[in-house]
Amino acid sequence: MVLLKIENLTAGVAQKEIIKNFSLTINAGEVHAIMGPNGAGKSTLSYVLAGKSDYEVTSGKAWLNGQDLLQMKPEERANAGLFLSMQYPVAIPGVSVSNFLKHAVNAKRKYAGLPELDAAEFLKLLRSAAKELGISAEMLKREINVGFSGGEKKRMEILQMSLLKPQLAILDEADSGLDIDALRVVAEGVNKLRTADNALLIITHHNDLLDLIKPDFVHIYADGHIVRSGDANLALELEQSGYKSFLEEV
Amino acid sequence: MVEDNHNITLWGEDIPWLFGLREKGRQTTKAIGLPNAKTEAWKYSHFAPTILDTYHIDTTPHHCDENCHCHDEKASTPFAAYYIKFCNGKLANEHFDLPAGVTIKSLVEAIFDGDAKAYLGKSFDLEKFPFAALNTAYLEQGVMLTVERGTVLDRPILLHYHQHYGTPQINHLRNIFVLENRSKATIIEYFTAESNAEYFNNLVNEIYVREAAQLQHYVWQNEAVAARHVALTSVEVRKDGTYNCFCAQSECVLARHESYIRLQQEGAAAEVNGVYRLMHSGVSDITTNIAHLAPHTVSNQLVKGVVGGAAKGVFQGQIHIAPDAQQTEGYQLHRALILSDDAEVDAKPELEIFADDVKCSHGNTCGDLDAEQLFYMQSRGIDLETAKQLLIEAHINEAFEKINDNNVKTWLKKNF
Repeated sequence: MVLLKIENLTAGVAQKEIIKNFSLTINAGEVHAIMGPNGAGKSTLSYVLAGKSDYEVTSGKAWLNGQDLLQMKPEERANAGLFLSMQYPVAIPGVSVSNFLKHAVNAKRKYAGLPELDAAEFLKLLRSAAKELGISAEMLKREINVGFSGGEKKRMEILQMSLLKPQLAILDEADSGLDIDALRVVAEGVNKLRTADNALLIITHHNDLLDLIKPDFVHIYADGHIVRSGDANLALELEQSGYKSFLEEV
Repeated sequence: MVEDNHNITLWGEDIPWLFGLREKGRQTTKAIGLPNAKTEAWKYSHFAPTILDTYHIDTTPHHCDENCHCHDEKASTPFAAYYIKFCNGKLANEHFDLPAGVTIKSLVEAIFDGDAKAYLGKSFDLEKFPFAALNTAYLEQGVMLTVERGTVLDRPILLHYHQHYGTPQINHLRNIFVLENRSKATIIEYFTAESNAEYFNNLVNEIYVREAAQLQHYVWQNEAVAARHVALTSVEVRKDGTYNCFCAQSECVLARHESYIRLQQEGAAAEVNGVYRLMHSGVSDITTNIAHLAPHTVSNQLVKGVVGGAAKGVFQGQIHIAPDAQQTEGYQLHRALILSDDAEVDAKPELEIFADDVKCSHGNTCGDLDAEQLFYMQSRGIDLETAKQLLIEAHINEAFEKINDNNVKTWLKKNF
């Protein structure tokens, strides 16, 4: 089953084209990795897919589960099954983790026609999901991402993913700023959430995370589109030769 | 206004010192007039003096039937308190059910008994406060509350002022709160009205916090949309005394809360925190003047505001540190969200520091909701409107966290 289909997408910010004629298809059960050098516009791709308003799509199409993705508001995309784990999750002073997540979970339930969870039901769900990821009950009372370490922020992103159970999760540099232990926790968390019905798009510029979450497809991304695709071995090849040789092919 | 009404009969005109004080108020009002665009302290919230002519002073005694909303204690707060009720600007209580060590008298009684003489009009200069001068010319309604030495109140004292619909009326209200040495009290002032009521509350509180006494003072100006509310709270704090104020302002034509605080002796401390939220129109004004007159005095201020529509928020914060007030600390922070093009925020911090060994800071920020935060919430499925509300609440909640009393905090957060 096709979860995400992107066709000849061109998009950018402030009149500057960053994504150029980009195409990609992701089926249920697959793990795709997009690898590219810093500054290639990998995060732009994730923001465009999530619907950030600063970015403008000038041509091309995208479908999420057959729905026209580009016509949907960011919250509709999320509720329809898209999740973006951000490279730099933003801190929101004054909003606790639990309050924030309660709104998110109930928004998704409402969208799916399910009754909203009350405070007690939600807390039970939240605590058990947090426990799985080694997140303390104390941390759930804190303001979201305020004063969190790099590892805590990434773990919080995975906690959100585990509660929202997206069909397609985009992990944008989920490994940045993490030591090897924290990386393992994040990878294990993600692996536990994998099913035959969902899919992952991992955006990264090095291999560490791909050693822990095995991709089915690796795409090398440069100058706004995919310049080469292959299986997991492509990532290894890339590690040895660097981006330069691939970029020269362009 | 004064000329039109000075022939009204107020209680106690035969008491010379009271007559003298009222006359001084009247003469001061005549001399200085009402604030205008050139009056620095009223630069952003002055209004045409003729507006006052639309209100009348009601000198008839308090009358209201037993169904009157303001007599229903349950309608006020969800927690236990000692209730003092004002209805249409008139004291509505006949009895106060109070514990030992606390006395409440109507202002009339306190004047008659001589209790008020040492306090009334003693904490500020009339010349500096035009509306307080006007208030003084008409003083009659209000209470005097005295907490005796060492008395610690087990529950808050709630002054609930309620206004009914009727001919536009101006209420000149005057209270005296005296906290004797080492006493401790919480005073809540809660203003409500019938939604269509038009009125003007002109309130003056004179507060005396004696040695090591502690007062928590909460004010919620939850007035009717067509109301004006101008309040001066003048406070003297002595050695090791603490005065903490929190003011919440809701939508109305004008809500002004002015704190004039003297930290007179070593160890005196004051806080003025507050929130305002006006989404349609009107002016919200929090003005403070805190004077550090002795060493080792501390003041803190945090005000968070939200304005939308064509509303205006004003924060004016003056901190004065006298030459010998060494090792004092004065902090001030005002942050406002401006949610529409027509909304306005005016902020004016003024620090006058004459001592050299002090820690002082002030900060002001005004801006729209953060687009990154909004997107982050939307990307988790939260719709834009809810995301905005969450951010507005979060913005305001930072100030609510300054409230020490958990009952009051919960009540205000839930109902504001």
